[in-house]
Amino acid sequence: MKQLMDGARRRAVLVGGAVAVLVAAGLGTWATDTWPFDGKDTYCWGAWKEDSGPDFLSGEAVDEDNASRTSEETAPAPGRQRGRCTVALHSERTSSDGGKVVEKTEVTVDYGPAPESAARRMEWIGGHLGDRAMPLPDGLPGVSDGRSGLLVLPKGCDTRDGRPTAVTLDSTAESVYSDSTMPGDAGLGGSQSVARLLVAAANRAMEKAGCAPDKPLEVVSPVLTLPEGRETFFTRACRIKGLELGKEAEDLAYQVGPVTRDLQSCSVRQTRGDGRYFDALMVTQPRLSALFDGATGSKAPARGWRGTGVFADTYKVVRADCAGRPLTVLMLAPSLHETTPYFATFTNAVARRVGCAPVAPGGSDR
Amino acid sequence: MTDSEMTDSENDDNSENDDNCENDTSVPPHERRRPWWHWRRLTGSRPRLAVTTGVIGVVAGALLGGAGVAWQAEAGPFADDRACWGTFSQDDAAALFDGKFGGNADVKSSEVPITSDRIGAEGSSGQCLLTSDGSRITVQAHQLDTRFGGSGDQWADGFLSARLTPLGGGLLGMASDTRAWLAVPDGCIGRPRDADVTGGPTVIDLKTGWTVYDDEVDIKARDQLARAVVKLVNHYMAGKGCTGTIADPTGRMPQPPRFLDEKKDAMCGVKGLPLSHADARSTLGRTLVTRGAGPVRTCDRRVLFDHPELRLMTVEDPRLAVLYARLSENGTQKPVKAGAHDGYGFVRDDMGLFQAQCQTGPVTFLIRADSGRHPADIRTLLPRYVAAEADRIGCGPLHITLPAAG
Repeated sequence: MKQLMDGARRRAVLVGGAVAVLVAAGLGTWATDTWPFDGKDTYCWGAWKEDSGPDFLSGEAVDEDNASRTSEETAPAPGRQRGRCTVALHSERTSSDGGKVVEKTEVTVDYGPAPESAARRMEWIGGHLGDRAMPLPDGLPGVSDGRSGLLVLPKGCDTRDGRPTAVTLDSTAESVYSDSTMPGDAGLGGSQSVARLLVAAANRAMEKAGCAPDKPLEVVSPVLTLPEGRETFFTRACRIKGLELGKEAEDLAYQVGPVTRDLQSCSVRQTRGDGRYFDALMVTQPRLSALFDGATGSKAPARGWRGTGVFADTYKVVRADCAGRPLTVLMLAPSLHETTPYFATFTNAVARRVGCAPVAPGGSDR
Repeated sequence: MTDSEMTDSENDDNSENDDNCENDTSVPPHERRRPWWHWRRLTGSRPRLAVTTGVIGVVAGALLGGAGVAWQAEAGPFADDRACWGTFSQDDAAALFDGKFGGNADVKSSEVPITSDRIGAEGSSGQCLLTSDGSRITVQAHQLDTRFGGSGDQWADGFLSARLTPLGGGLLGMASDTRAWLAVPDGCIGRPRDADVTGGPTVIDLKTGWTVYDDEVDIKARDQLARAVVKLVNHYMAGKGCTGTIADPTGRMPQPPRFLDEKKDAMCGVKGLPLSHADARSTLGRTLVTRGAGPVRTCDRRVLFDHPELRLMTVEDPRLAVLYARLSENGTQKPVKAGAHDGYGFVRDDMGLFQAQCQTGPVTFLIRADSGRHPADIRTLLPRYVAAEADRIGCGPLHITLPAAG
């Protein structure tokens, strides 16, 4: 009996010592607010953690009484190639004049193939790759800006019919006043942070879907931010010869996006209301280009055009060989005005820039 | 737990001469002769062992924690003696002089911290000097000056020389065996605030004080300087709270340039540029052209003591072409003519310049001589150079017409 007591006591003693060491170490980690004393929430299949950087994930965002953060998610699975997660912030405050203001922010990540319908797909591609989106670094086939991002996943995640799977991140933020609604900042923390959030969500989604590559995708290099803003005083749009808009330009503004060998965009909008005049996009990066697969038609879009293409009501798309790579050019524009000449000018100008033969009729070779 | 144990453990903390001790059966008489801190007394009974272990544990934990904090804060015995704003360890710094001394150099450093003036008008600047046995390396952080005749042009002379190879990968930077420079990427500091688009980029550059008489650029020394400048910029970005780390660029950098054998109708390797008779026959100095895609393509002809007699340069990167924006608009009374919206430029006896508006942004085409003795050569070359180079970089067709001579 005594022997037994001895054993138990010795153990108790050792345990006591171990506990003391752990407490000391624990105090350290607690003081520095690190694992495992954080008790933080996670979002998007565990890819994002509360207080991990961007404002919309910070504890302060939900510190006030009338503030809350909610999330919903459906994970992709080996049999289900679609997933979505949403993080929503909702808060109420009283404005300086005593009225009620509701702040709403929503950040959504979608995992899945590009939309099947051609018209919807063009809108989806143009919406993500156009405007102010900049290419991701380190050879990742994707883009990000401060509000959204898109990443095309490796071939292992392609659908059975060969369409690539992509992860997109989108955000909305608004302040609702009693008489008006103002756009706000979703607090994503800039394009650098969007790229990281996007890649983290993509890695987790690929694990769930069972198509994760051996090494997780990673953004190491700095993510570039577009250096220039909208230009309102102009006649030649996006510095492209032939895109002189004349008198029309008075009510328009243009935004030059990236101008690289892989990606180029130019968007022309109404100064009032931000309505689309046209959004033009050129893609040669092979994986981004694959997003168009199956939607660029099987014959020339019109007389004199090289390659294949489709001229539809809301969009025009053409794809032609350019030094061994497919060059795809897309223009989204409402059918209110004739945009074919702009499309032809843009197409030939970018083809010439990257060193390729003209695609539209009337272009001259170098 | 029994009463006696309770007392016992309490007594551990009290004086050994406490009367209660006499009755304490858990401290045998032979132990009482030992001082209280003797390990046998401290561990003699189980409860005492527990307390002792606990105390030691807490102390050890506190020491470890304290050391960890000191290490993180680089204080006390972990104090930092890293050179150049904390970037280089002694070994890193010594390696920079390796190419020169081949051994472990003893490097001394002094520095001016990177600061900006209160309104930020001049951007950030700082300097760090590394010296070893009479040799020196000067490291500078500064925003490039867009005022011509200011440091922008002096800087371009040395750091945009054809001896340097672009770091590649879209980086705004170059390196040779005596110089290297790299701009802080857009999105970290400065640009891309709209107001800063017209300002020069913030760069960190590194210049060795020695002159290399060899024709060829030493690759090992060049890669060493390229890595050093990347390290400087990464360290600077981390200090500014910018995420992202620039990877070692040396794997993808092309071979350094070699002297070019120019053909009669292709000065600087640009087709359509005629070589004058005097040029063709000259044996004085030779021609060097930048290799690899990058921010600039420079052709330096007949370089003597770091100064080319003639330089033909295309500045393709808009972040760098801003250095010539002001000059192109107001540097002369003799503007060249070009298509509407194509750009601005001028020609002078010692210099010709055209600042084009390409799809990628501003691009500078520049021809500069070290004297005004050959104005006709510059007039012959400029329109052809602009047309040929514009085509090469995808900014063509671009045709300019010169104002009448005289």
